[in-house]
This record gives sequence, C-alpha cells and structure tokens, in this order.
Amino acid sequence: MTRQSFRLGVDIGGTFTDIVLIDDDGRVFSKKILSTPRDYSEAIEVGSRALFAELGVDPADIREFVHATTVATNTIIERKGAKVGLVTTLGFRDVLEIARFRTPRLYDITYRKPDPLVPRDLRFEVAERMGADGAVVAPLDESRLEDIASAMETAGVEAVAITLINSHVNADHEQRLADFFRKRMPDLMVTASSDLVPQIGEYERTSTTVVNAYLRPIVTRYVEALQRRLDGMGIAAPLMIMQSSGGIAPGMLVKDQPITIIESGPAAGVLGGARLASHIDLGDVLVFDMGGTTAKATLTEAGAYTISPETEVGGEPVLGARMVRGAGYPVQVPTIDIAEVGAGGGSLAAVDSAGGIAVGPRSAGSEPGPVAYGRGGTQPTVTDGNLMLGYLNPQALVSGELSLDHGAVRRAFGTLSGELAVAETEAAYGVHQIANASMLRALRGVSSEKGRDPAQFVLMAIGGNGPVHACSLAEEAGMHRVVIPPVAGLYSALGMLFADVEHQLVAAFYHRLDETDLAALQATIDGLVAHGAELLEGQGFGPDARDMRIEIDMKYAGQTSPLTVMLGGTEASEAAIAALIRSFHEQHARTFGYSSAHEPLQFVAVKAVCRGVPERPRMPEQCLRGNERSLGATGRRAYFGAQGWHETPVVTRADLKAEPRSGPLIVEEYDTTCVIRPGWEASLDHWNNIHAIKKESAEA
Amino acid sequence: MSTISPIQRELLKNALVTISDNALVMVMRTARTANVKNSMDFSAAICDGTGNLAAQGLAVPVHLGVVNPALKGCLDYFGDDIAEGDVLASNDPYSGCSHLNDIFTFKPVYVDGKRVAFVVLVLHHTDLGGRVPGGNAADSQEIFEEGLRLPPVKMRVAGRNNDAVFRIIEANTRIPDRVMGDLNAQLAALDEAAAEVEKIARRMGPEAFGRYLVDLIDYAEQLTRNSIADLPDGEVEFDEWNDDDGAGHGPIHLHVKLTKKGDEIVVDYEGTQEDTGGAVHCNWEFAVSCTYAALRTVLAAEVPNNAGLYRPITVKAPKGTFISVEFPAAVGSRGQIGFRLRSIILGALAKLVPGRMPACAGGSEFALAASGRTETGRSFLHLEFHNNTGLGGGPDRDGQDAGPYCIGNLANVPVELIESENPIRVEQYAFLPDTGGAGEYRGALGLVRDYRFLTDAVRVQVRSDRYTSQPWGLFGGGPGAGGKLVLNPGTPGEDPLPSKFIRTFAKGDLLSAQMAASGGYGEAAKRDRAAVARDLAEGKMTADHALKAYGFSAGEEPDA
Repeated sequence: MTRQSFRLGVDIGGTFTDIVLIDDDGRVFSKKILSTPRDYSEAIEVGSRALFAELGVDPADIREFVHATTVATNTIIERKGAKVGLVTTLGFRDVLEIARFRTPRLYDITYRKPDPLVPRDLRFEVAERMGADGAVVAPLDESRLEDIASAMETAGVEAVAITLINSHVNADHEQRLADFFRKRMPDLMVTASSDLVPQIGEYERTSTTVVNAYLRPIVTRYVEALQRRLDGMGIAAPLMIMQSSGGIAPGMLVKDQPITIIESGPAAGVLGGARLASHIDLGDVLVFDMGGTTAKATLTEAGAYTISPETEVGGEPVLGARMVRGAGYPVQVPTIDIAEVGAGGGSLAAVDSAGGIAVGPRSAGSEPGPVAYGRGGTQPTVTDGNLMLGYLNPQALVSGELSLDHGAVRRAFGTLSGELAVAETEAAYGVHQIANASMLRALRGVSSEKGRDPAQFVLMAIGGNGPVHACSLAEEAGMHRVVIPPVAGLYSALGMLFADVEHQLVAAFYHRLDETDLAALQATIDGLVAHGAELLEGQGFGPDARDMRIEIDMKYAGQTSPLTVMLGGTEASEAAIAALIRSFHEQHARTFGYSSAHEPLQFVAVKAVCRGVPERPRMPEQCLRGNERSLGATGRRAYFGAQGWHETPVVTRADLKAEPRSGPLIVEEYDTTCVIRPGWEASLDHWNNIHAIKKESAEA
Repeated sequence: MSTISPIQRELLKNALVTISDNALVMVMRTARTANVKNSMDFSAAICDGTGNLAAQGLAVPVHLGVVNPALKGCLDYFGDDIAEGDVLASNDPYSGCSHLNDIFTFKPVYVDGKRVAFVVLVLHHTDLGGRVPGGNAADSQEIFEEGLRLPPVKMRVAGRNNDAVFRIIEANTRIPDRVMGDLNAQLAALDEAAAEVEKIARRMGPEAFGRYLVDLIDYAEQLTRNSIADLPDGEVEFDEWNDDDGAGHGPIHLHVKLTKKGDEIVVDYEGTQEDTGGAVHCNWEFAVSCTYAALRTVLAAEVPNNAGLYRPITVKAPKGTFISVEFPAAVGSRGQIGFRLRSIILGALAKLVPGRMPACAGGSEFALAASGRTETGRSFLHLEFHNNTGLGGGPDRDGQDAGPYCIGNLANVPVELIESENPIRVEQYAFLPDTGGAGEYRGALGLVRDYRFLTDAVRVQVRSDRYTSQPWGLFGGGPGAGGKLVLNPGTPGEDPLPSKFIRTFAKGDLLSAQMAASGGYGEAAKRDRAAVARDLAEGKMTADHALKAYGFSAGEEPDA
C-alpha cells in the first residue's frame, strides 16, 4: 500500500476556524476551534497540529494547503487597513467621497454611508486628461509629483492608489505615475487602477483601487506570517487561497490583489456545492448556507454558478439587498453571485410595541450568542428555538465540545410566549418559521432574477444551521429534494479542496461593434492570454495544462449593465464574432425576456478565465467520514407544526443506508444536525450524502 | 376560531412583501428602458379586496401613499363592473394618479368567486408623448401638453387583452418598442404576483386571509400610533419656498401647520399660496403621499407600509393651492415640488421634536436633458438626475458630505459613462468648499459638475431649484449656499442662467452646474475648533471662510 498523502482545507470565520483533512481514499477528518482574531494564523497552527496529532499525520505528507479567510473583510469592517494616498485627475479627487448617493435604508434620517477610506487631504490631483476615445486632451503635468510624494511621506502614507479619468481606455498617464511613485517611494505598495480593474465607471474603479491599496500591507503581512507558520510546521505544500470567483491562487499572488479574496469563505462553500452537484449529477441546485448570523443562497445550473462583476464590502447584509445598494464599498472583482440575508442561528426574536414578532436581522453574534450557550444571552434566538423544538441535542453541540443550558432557553421562551400570548412551543415554532420566511426571500430572490421557481431546484444545505432548517425551508419553497453533503457544517473547508487554480483577467474594450477594429480586439485578447499563460506557468501548468476561456462583456448601446458572453476559442475571427452576437441575443432573451436584432451593440470589456488543468481529479471518488464522535443519543421528542410532537429517532449518518428511511429522523453529527421531517425519507449515497425526499403521500 | 396569531401575521406580512419584492425584481429583469432599471421608479403592492393597501414592496418613497387613491379612482369608476380576469389601469392625475408617466395597473384576485385582494404595479414609463420627450417640461400649463391621459380603463377583460388600449398607448409614445416592452414586463409581473397571492389566500382560506389582511392594517396602525405617542404633543408651523413655478412666477410660498396630539398628527397646508401654473406643482394625492413619506422618518422602522400607517395622520389643504392643483393643470415635473413637500415636513418635525431632525437637505433637484447629433451625425440623448447633495447638519454631527438622501434613492451618472456615449466632457465633479451652512454642525457641501459640449447645436433642458430659496439652517445654523448655473464661467462670455431653461449651446460651451449645499445646525460660534481645523486641512473650507463664519484664524491651535 502506498503511503497516504493529505489535502488540508482551512476556513477562518469570525467565530470559528474550520479545518478539514482529506486523504487519497476520500476519508475526511475535521476539527472546529475558536478563531484567534489577534492573529488568525494561530488557530490554523493550533488546530492543524491537534488534528495531525489525533490522526498521526506527518505534516510532510500534506500535499496541498488551501485556505479561505475573512482577513480582508475584517480589515475593512474594523477600519484597520493601511493609510492610503490617492492620486486622481484634476477636478476629480472627490469622486471617492461623493460615491453614488444610493442608500440601503429608506426613511432612516440617521443613516450615513461609510466614510471614505482615504480622507480628502490624502487625495492628490494631477493636471492631465484622457478623452473617452483615449486621445490625450491634456498632457500629464509632472511638475507637482515631487510635492505630492513629500506630502505623502510627511503624512505617513503606507500605500498608494492611482485612478485617472478614462485610464481604462488609455493607461499611459496612470502607468507613468505608477512608475514615478514606485521609484520615488520603493517601500510603498503602489496600485494603479489600470493594472487592477481597467473597467469603465470612475467611482467603482477608484473604490476598487483604494480598497486594494488599503488591504495590501495587511494581507501581505498575514500571508507571510501564515507561510512562516506552515514552514515551521513542516508543511511544504504551497499556500493556496480561495478567491471570491471560485478559483484558488497562490498566496504570493493574492497578497498583491487582496480584493480577489473578499468573499473567500462563502465562495468555497458554493464552489464545493457546485462541484458536488456535477459529480453526482444533481442537476440544478440551490446551495443554501446558513451560519450563525446570515444565510446565503446561490443558484447553480448544471454545476455552473453565476459570476457577478462586482461586490460590496464592509456593509451589513440588508434584507432585499440585491436591489438596494450603498451599504459598503464597491469592489469590481469577479465574485460568485450570492444572495445574503440577516437570518442565522444567532438571529434574535423580539416583540414590538404592538405585540408583533420579528426574528433578526439583529443577531446575538458570537458574544453572548444564543441563550443556550450560557454566555449571558437572555433574548431567544433561532438556535434556542430549535433546541425547544427538539431539533438540537438539549445537552451539547459539536460532539459534546459545546454544552448547552436547556433550562435558560425554556425560561427565555417562557417570557417570549407570555408577551405574544401563545404557547411556548408555538412561539418556538414561530421563530423557526419566521427565520425560514426571511431565508425564503433570498431563495426566491436569486431564482426570480433568473426567471425561475425555486421548486425546480434541489436544495443543498450546508453551514452549521443549514441542515437543521433544510426540510422545513424546502417545504415552504415547494421544493421536494434536499441533499446534505458530508461535513455539511464545515463544508466550505472541504469544498475549497475541489477548486481549480484559476486567474480571472480583464481588459477594457469600450467600443461599439460597428466601430470595432477586429485586430484591436485580437490584440487585447492576446495580451490577456499571454498574461494568463505566464501566471499559470509560474504555478507549474505547462501549455497542455491550461484552459483559456475568453468572455466578452457586451450590451445594447445605451443599456446600463452588460451581459458576459463566451467567445468560442481565443480568435476574434469574423465567424467567431458572428457566433458571439448570436449568443448575446439568445442570452439576452433568456435573461431579460427579449432581444432586439436592430439595436446597435456595445462591447464593454474582454475577460479571460485562465484555469490550470489539474493532474488528478479534484473530487474524490467517494467521501468517507473519518473521526466522527457520537453523543450517544437515541431519540427524543421533536415538534413539527401541524404534525405535532413526534418521538423521533436520533441516528448518525453511518446508520443511514441506500434504502430510504422514513422521517421524522434526526441525524446528529460533529458539525451539524440534520432534521428529516415527517413525510420525508432519507437515504445515503456512495459519496456519503444524505438525500431527503418529500413523499407525495405526505401532502395534505 | 377567529383569533389572530402574531406569528401567522408576521408570516403573512413576510410572504406579501416577498411577493411584491419579487414582482419588482421581475420588472427589473424584463423591462426595456434604462430609465426603469436605473431609477427603480416603480412600486408593487397588495391591497385587500376593498382596495386598502395591505403591503408594499421596496418602493420609491414618494409612492408611499399613491396606491390607495389611484385604486379608488378605478373602483369609483367601475363599481360592481369588475370581474375575475380583469386588469384595471389608469395614469390620470385627476382620477387619483400622480403624473402621466406613472401607469398604475390593478389585478383583482378571487378565491371561490370572492374578491380577496388587488395586486398593484405602478411603473414610470419613459415616454408617453407630449410636447417634450419624457413629458417632464417644467413650463407646461395644461395636462394636454404632457402626453397620453389614460382615465380608468380595463387593459384586460375576463383574461383577454383590450387591444384598443394597447394600440392607443403604442401610438402615443416616441419609443413604442421600449414602452410596450416595459408595459408587458409590468403586466407579466402583475400576473405572477397575483398568482402567488391567490395561492396564499387559497391555502389560508379566503375568510382567514381577509381577516389577517384587516389585522395587518390594524397592526400597522397600532405601531404608528405608538410611534406618534412617543413624540411630544405640540403645534408647529413651518414655511418653505420654491424659486418659481417653472413658468416664470416666483418665489412660491408653502406653509404648513403640524399638530401632534396623543397618538395622532394633523398636517394642514392652509396658507400655502394658490396655484400659479407651470408643471412643477402637484395634485393633492401626490402631496399627501410625500407627506406620509416625510413623516415615516419619525415612525418606528418596523411599521409595515400599509393603509394602517395613514389612519392616525390627517392631511388637509384648500383646493387650488400650489400643492392641490385642479384640472387641467400640468403636473409632469411634480417630482421637484415633492422635494419641497418633504423638506417642509422635516422642518416642522425639527421644531416639534428638537434634537431629532437635521437641518435642510442640500441639492438643486437638478435634472439635465441634452440632445443633438455628434460630429459624425449620430443622434444622442443624455438624461441625468442629480437631485441631492447631502442631508443638513445636526442634530449631533455635521451633515455628511454627499451623504445619501433617505427619502429618495437615485444614483448619479458616472462621468466616464456620459463621456463614452455623448459628445460631452465633464471637466469637474467636486465639492464646493465653504458652501455648507455654518453652524455648530455644518451642512454638507454643495457640488459642482461642469459639462463641456463637444459638438454644435446641443439642445439642453434643465430643471432645478434652490437658487434663491436656500436650504434652511436650524437653531441658529446658517442656510446652505444656493445653487447656481453659469455658462462659460471665468470667460468674457460668462452668463448666469435661470434654474429652469431650454436652450441651445455651441461647441466648446461649458455649463457649470453648482448644486446647493445643505443647512447648518446650531450657533457657528459653538463649533468644535478641531472640526474647523479639520475642514481647513481637508480643503473643505478656506481660511477666509473659517475666519468670517467661525472667527477662526488660520494658524490658531485647535484646543482640545
């Protein structure tokens, strides 16, 4: 027997650090420990060492290390980024602060948008101007640059961002400025917008460039510290980091473009879900990830998810946020399109002055957490409701590592039910249902945007609370099938191990189709492909192991937002463009309900998705649970609404078989609890996924 | 059993709001015109079977009170002649609607032959004819100049489209493809929402569904009453001015008396001057809706948007005032006076509840339409709204520069987008130093946008205000600097322009739009010296202004 090698996935959240180890046979081992906010890499080392010791794994046998981290997001939320100096075109230094005037909260006279990450006195203007066609309207005035550099030094600037008007069309002035500052201040990290996001829209491009500059020193220090820890532990595998787009990239590249890892953790869960859906042929799937403070929903069709060209960072999740903008800092970076609502296990139930009840978006967070955690919480949460209903083990979670205070939960619900004048059980079930209603908004939101009904999808439930709510949420949404993958509660940490090395590159190409020179388009494509090839070469992917896909952002002239359309191959031939135009019209009709053959078309940008083709499959053939520990429960009473209280067997995943077993049923696991309702039946497939199917007879 | 469970009520409320939000998502997805997608100028709502608003989705704030009167206009006309499969529609400001661009559509929902609800979608249509594209000329005098007027009609009868109505609309727009596309998007979303509502009503049973809708409205009323009861009793008056009426008369004086007693509020606009013409004034229904939107800012956030919110609030005015115009007045540009209605209510609230409201918001309610041909002969049309510049100062901090205006939600247009599609170069988009109203908490700064026209014969229409009627300060705070429009500033041809005009510009002309700043709060002398020093350091204030407004000498050490 050959010696086993291992792949290690680590997902750092605000509260917990999840660690998953998988061997060559698909055996999965996991560990969940508290995060260490002062130095997040500490929990990685402590947790990994503990897991290695428990299993007798030699760190030298770790052949891959993939990591998802909230370090970028937290830096922004806590405003702990670098002091940035911004250089702009004369007349436009206020673009960053003016922003777009959108508010996420109508009628709230106290709402303030986030303050700019660079104050006005650190925003410097230079006389220069490019026209929209790329012609030089005013030459670059270099006479003041030395003054600007000195002012930055005096102010203690740590990073420089440069965004000039129309630099996405002609980057010459911007590049000359970048060269100047790199030479003049070699210790500072300089980010030019034309290197990062050569896309139209001065505010979004400036914001993206500033966020990148703001994060760079912090993420660089983080990546370097983590690398030292890995070296110290004897892990030789390269440090790979999950990007918001669903691909992984080496830490050494990511530290220069930290904007690519803002949605690192959520992307890992979706990517893992999408890959699993393809692997076992699930068809169209809604990946539903419910944690402690928020729930997220992502639609995948035949294993493919939608990539959104932009995200916002640093804002709170707002119900209905998909139509409401302005809560955070926009960042133009390819991001898996995820809808998020403020409903999670920690969401608080509260009674208003007219006797109405609301659940969330206020959350008990990790401190004090749900009442059940016994850390001072007194207001009931969704998790507390689930405990009252018998869904969760009344003594402990995480295989006994987190003990629960059932008595305190009962007292809290006593108070709540008194205020509402309903029975305690009804109050608890109400909290569960109202949380579902919020999450249903996210599910319906993502599917409505595609013109589809959630009932047409399989619900894949992940996250610590996803499997608790999956079946009841599915019933509300009219869905009939739920899939709960192994280590569902830590699935992001597993899912990231299925991701490919991928680089998404973009170049501006703002030309009307009827005024486009195909040679110029080809040159733009060639530039991107060459850059992608160079990046992949650096990670050991030779010419035969590269998958290059060219996508064009285009729209009808005058429209607001473009569609991303795939170009067959990398040649901008007449035939390829004709096919591209046909796909655009088709895709437009599919997405927006109409297409219009006579309207002029506008190219916006050219994108390259450059993927390294892995030597061996990223998905294991099967997935077996390694270090599961049972709490030993065998059954308890649980409440299912109209169907009342049921004596419900409690089992482990290993107790399930290919032969369906009827609900009600509770599957207790290390990282989550799966609730199979009456009228549903559960079975296990070869990959250790639980499939819950709603029986038709249960209707009525 | 007919008791109400607060849990069932919350679930129903969520379900209804989800349905209306999804209807809006569907409109966003399928609408044709950029205007619909950019400005999100549409609303979806669900009313009970008698026409009372029960739930409204994410909406344009000024739509808060428009659904009830518009539906009433249709119900009054059709009476008992409404049946399953009908779709009612209207855009007539003289039958309860707001202005011609907003087409309201209503679909009754039936369960077992009983009407249990109306589903409502209202959408701003980009062009419905009239003498000016887009229908929002400020100087129109009669509604007949503004486009197609659609009194209460049936767009669909027993499930069949009423072709006559569709054909008439199609024949009365400059962009038939797009407007009919938007109308179809509107109707498709209406159908989907109605089907969802019907599903819920069937599941609950029509009787329980109806009972819960009534209860949901009562619940909103109770929350509203509780919120109002928390405010101090009192009677306050407030005055506001609009520069002009859009047709050359001004200034226009608005007056309000707001009385708060117990858990009720009475808003009386008596004393507002009588109508003088033009198209920036509004009908009474729109004035009431704007009043609700402004009052909403002092109600608890969790109050559902429905008819219960209206009940404790009485709004009145004599007929024929500037905000209660009578047939056949033109109302196409009524959005502009909507800003004044909101600011007058916020002003009255500031006096009623000191320490809660900031001073007056800034902004010139600036709207620009520029059209012509490029030098290569391609036609272009650039439409842009830049209504606000930031809320006023106070009650406990400065007005945030370029902060969002909560009772409106329109994004600005990117400079690079303007330049890529039109022969226009924007040469500056920046704060105007010194403009924020002086005060302990200063107002947000005004903003300037300079437009250089790169081709000849550019036809430009501007609708703006707040040039002479500056945004007011509070409790000793100064007003924000008024707006200004200047052609070719700093050149021999410099020419100040009025706040509303239609003119043709030549290649090379520069139009500088300087938008009003917001008001200050409290005495300037009380301003934190460190805050003045910070403004100086950031270049948001000049040394000269610091000395004049705050008695602060450059070089003075800010004391702790």
